[in-house]
Amino acid sequence: MRQRLRCIIHKELIQALRDPRMRSMLFLPPLIQLLIFGYAASLDVDNAKIAWMDQDHTPESRQLLSEFEGSGRFELAGMPDNERAMQRMMDKGQVDAVIRVLPGFARDVKRGRTTNVQILVDGTNSNTASIVSGYASQCIARYSNEVAQQGQRSMLVASTEESGGAIRPAVPQITSRTRVWFNPDLRSRNYFIPGVIVNIITLVTLSLTAMAIVREKEIGTMEQLMVTPIRPTELIIGKTLPFVLVGIWDMLLVMGAALLIFHVPFRGSFWLLLGSTLLFLLTSLGAGLFISTVSKTQQQAMMATSLFFQPFFMLSGFTFPIRNMPVVAQWMTFLNPVRYFMEIVRGVFLQGAGVEALWTQMVALAIFGVVILWLSVMRFHKQLE
Amino acid sequence: MNYRRTRAIYRKEFLHIIRDPRSLVAALLQPLVMLLIFGWALSLDVDRIPTYVYDADQTPQSRALVNDFKGSRYFDIVAQVDSYHPIEQAIDKRTCLLGVVIPENFGRDLGLKKNAQVQLLLDGSDSNTAAIAKGYAESVVAVRSAQLQATIQAMQVKPPSVNADVRVWYNPDLLSGNFIVPGLIAVIVMIIAANLGSLTIAREWENGTMEQLLSTPARPSEIALGKLAAYFVVGTADMVIALLVGIYVFDVPLKGSPVLLLVSSAIFLFGALGLGIMVSAMFRSQLMAYQMGTLLSFLPAFLLSGFIYSIGSMPRVIQVVSLFVPARYFMEIARGIFLKGIGIELLWFNLLLLVGYGALVFYFATRKLRQKVA
Amino acid sequence: MLPKGNGGPAVHIDKLVKRFGDFVAVDNVSIDVAPGEIFGFLGPNGAGKSTTIRILCGLLPPTSGSATVGGFDVAKQPEDVKHNIGYMSQKFSLYDDLTVQENIEFFGGVYGVPSDKLAARRDYVLQMAGLEEKRTTMTRLLAGGWKQRLALGCAILHEPPILFLDEPTSGVDPIARRNFWFLIYQLSAAGHTIFVTTHYMDEAEYCHRVALMYGGRIIALGSPAELKTSLGAGHLLNLETSDLLGSMTALEGQSGILDIAVFGGGLHVKVDDPAAAIPRIYQVLKDKAIAVYALDSIVPSMEDVFVGLIEKEEEKAPA
Repeated sequence: MRQRLRCIIHKELIQALRDPRMRSMLFLPPLIQLLIFGYAASLDVDNAKIAWMDQDHTPESRQLLSEFEGSGRFELAGMPDNERAMQRMMDKGQVDAVIRVLPGFARDVKRGRTTNVQILVDGTNSNTASIVSGYASQCIARYSNEVAQQGQRSMLVASTEESGGAIRPAVPQITSRTRVWFNPDLRSRNYFIPGVIVNIITLVTLSLTAMAIVREKEIGTMEQLMVTPIRPTELIIGKTLPFVLVGIWDMLLVMGAALLIFHVPFRGSFWLLLGSTLLFLLTSLGAGLFISTVSKTQQQAMMATSLFFQPFFMLSGFTFPIRNMPVVAQWMTFLNPVRYFMEIVRGVFLQGAGVEALWTQMVALAIFGVVILWLSVMRFHKQLE
Repeated sequence: MNYRRTRAIYRKEFLHIIRDPRSLVAALLQPLVMLLIFGWALSLDVDRIPTYVYDADQTPQSRALVNDFKGSRYFDIVAQVDSYHPIEQAIDKRTCLLGVVIPENFGRDLGLKKNAQVQLLLDGSDSNTAAIAKGYAESVVAVRSAQLQATIQAMQVKPPSVNADVRVWYNPDLLSGNFIVPGLIAVIVMIIAANLGSLTIAREWENGTMEQLLSTPARPSEIALGKLAAYFVVGTADMVIALLVGIYVFDVPLKGSPVLLLVSSAIFLFGALGLGIMVSAMFRSQLMAYQMGTLLSFLPAFLLSGFIYSIGSMPRVIQVVSLFVPARYFMEIARGIFLKGIGIELLWFNLLLLVGYGALVFYFATRKLRQKVA
Repeated sequence: MLPKGNGGPAVHIDKLVKRFGDFVAVDNVSIDVAPGEIFGFLGPNGAGKSTTIRILCGLLPPTSGSATVGGFDVAKQPEDVKHNIGYMSQKFSLYDDLTVQENIEFFGGVYGVPSDKLAARRDYVLQMAGLEEKRTTMTRLLAGGWKQRLALGCAILHEPPILFLDEPTSGVDPIARRNFWFLIYQLSAAGHTIFVTTHYMDEAEYCHRVALMYGGRIIALGSPAELKTSLGAGHLLNLETSDLLGSMTALEGQSGILDIAVFGGGLHVKVDDPAAAIPRIYQVLKDKAIAVYALDSIVPSMEDVFVGLIEKEEEKAPA
């Protein structure tokens, strides 16, 4: 049995590695995903573009502008001087927001009257919109505080001069000091890259396994294999083992890049990660096997993979937090093995979590893995008869 | 180009598609699944942030601040604790995202006209949510601070204050669904192109029928066009499904011209399928064609088109790369027509680019096919 | 009936060479095929037959040399060539998920059969192939022999003057093969030129002329009869004994014995002078106490001829 097994594994590996294009496929997808998620995919809003519409043209309004420019968060993309021009800029998507200072701004400030500055936000991207309006509001609040302080000081000076008393200190402020755990710089990539590992492993083991098996069906060599003494179990192991190796290889590749190039912190135990990966592989290989039993052609295998992979991956908390989902959807994610693996990977990387913290997820993975694999193997056996 | 030959190829491809019900059903199901996930389940909106509060002060001032958090829709006070430790534990266990710690002398300091400080602890793992939560939390504190000043100063002279009046255009309720669904159509089209288009020629090579086909008078351009036309039908069905579901189920407003939307979508679909077929012509193995197809169509459409991640925040190099992603231009068109109601006078350039892209990939597909005869 | 051509050869190949990197697949091949001829292209696997056909169909460009098919140059006018040929590839290459009728209609459309003629041609092909009852059957479900006939039918829809059939009978049972060749004769009689490759040596007998390809080169060219007589260079005897191997050892090297090969239940012995050889053989075997059951002259089969020729080539080339 050992020998037959070795033969099949050998054949699969040769088939996989001989074709130079196949070889590149083992490197390319993980690297590209890494590059994109490491560098490109960012939910941070670094340089929001604003248009400044100053209808007041006073030193006060210019001071407000310098507040914005000095914040380091905004890029001034234009200064439209009429409605039409402003509308066009928004319509064309050239700016994320328009800050409009109304006529009479400086007069109101000097007279100590409450006044408004308009922030017109492009709500198309609701995420960016929230963040941009938040930043803009902060700038205005800072300006407001300054004005208040100045006003207060001048009033205090005036009143103490009258009464001859000591200058009282400024009105107290409440400030906040924020400490961010695990990802102090709030860098998106620290959040995404552990997820990329999950993505790669799932994709590779799932789709390549399914394709490899179905390919033999399509070409007709499956029949050929079945007349040899080979047992179904050996066939399954032989077909899936090479992809386990590929999956682990890709994982190491991404981890290496994550640590060395992107400096993503790794605070936990490597063996824990490896062990959880192997647990997860039970699920993904089982799913790949299952897909191969419901597909007659490679095209069907690919479409099935795509159809299944999408929801499971998207609903695992990769880019979209599970917390934000409707309650029903959140419950559904309890049935999603990818969710548990994602939590484990993130936990190991960012939180340095150990078995004590992650054992529930690991148990869940183990259960899912065994069940799915067992069902798929049963089905596969049945089909071969 | 001969019409009859192209039509014969189109008919044959169509029969292939119809006779493979599994793939067809999967193809038609795909937009529904994606809409369900993206339109309903997934959201980047941040609210109901689980918060732990440790009020070590228990004075009217501190309680006022806690009430501010309670009253905000963004925060969900899960527990009020009486020490630091439970907050740490909760953050570790991921049962809380934000911890608000009000120190002992908070009220006293304020009474003495000294500055007081509140501590905010955040779980930074999910940087996006954390950044937004941080912003909201800090502004709650800032607002309370401003109100405090106002209260104190109200006893004297009303101070000047400058407030922000925020108006949101195009998507007033900031519904992320409105943001995501129009863009989703672009992603769906690209996926279909990757899955269906990229396999068709490679499969015929594997079966041996491509050699037979090439020995007939059928030109490579006719083969490419005939195949593209057949998949165009499926792609259009998918697109229409996505549009109808988006508009009627997810209530995404369609402020612009439906005709322009359909025409732009058709042009985009043509280019996407052209890309798929070009990839298919490059490989003789379906496996490779599929991988490359996904790499070139789905990933860029998802990640580099501005679908979720804004292009402006990406490093320059990647921004340049995104210039070559057709989905990016269609994203602007789709969002523009849906949410902004803009028309061709602002979108003509994008449309022109898409037309050019379609022509380019089709040309390369034909050329690849001609070369591969050898 | 097809119109007679302009009098020139249907297929004219002139010093054709095809190289793949260092490997020479087609080595200086020159052949003329007359209109209406059934021309057989034989040889072992890897000899270069399929490559040659692909070049003639305009599927591969030649490295050097030239070829014209139906008067059109394959390198310079491949489109015109394709209009005038029918090609049946090695794997029969039909679409498995189309019905018989749909495959026919597809190829009809793609070969440009005028729509008013398509129905008639389709019925003709169905009848010729015997697939009238099966017109709505899924091609996937057809047995090998039926697929073969369908593939041939699809190749003649547009009445091409020249047909290229690449191993059309591989994997098909003998009766189906025989019937298939009957079809080919009919087509030839109607004026089609047919260029066939096969590695079934016995099918060479069915052709008007035959070329034997080995290692990319033509090592024999002529009608089956010509090849058997001129290239035989010797007479063939059939020898059946009680000890085949013993007989072989005993007779090897004897004067007048050119070659001995095992064949069926006996030996084929090639001799230069049967009259002298026969008594000698009897003598030699009697000395070895080997009983002779039969010894008579036979006409060499094409297989004999070719095996002999190929062995000669192998002797020439050092291993």
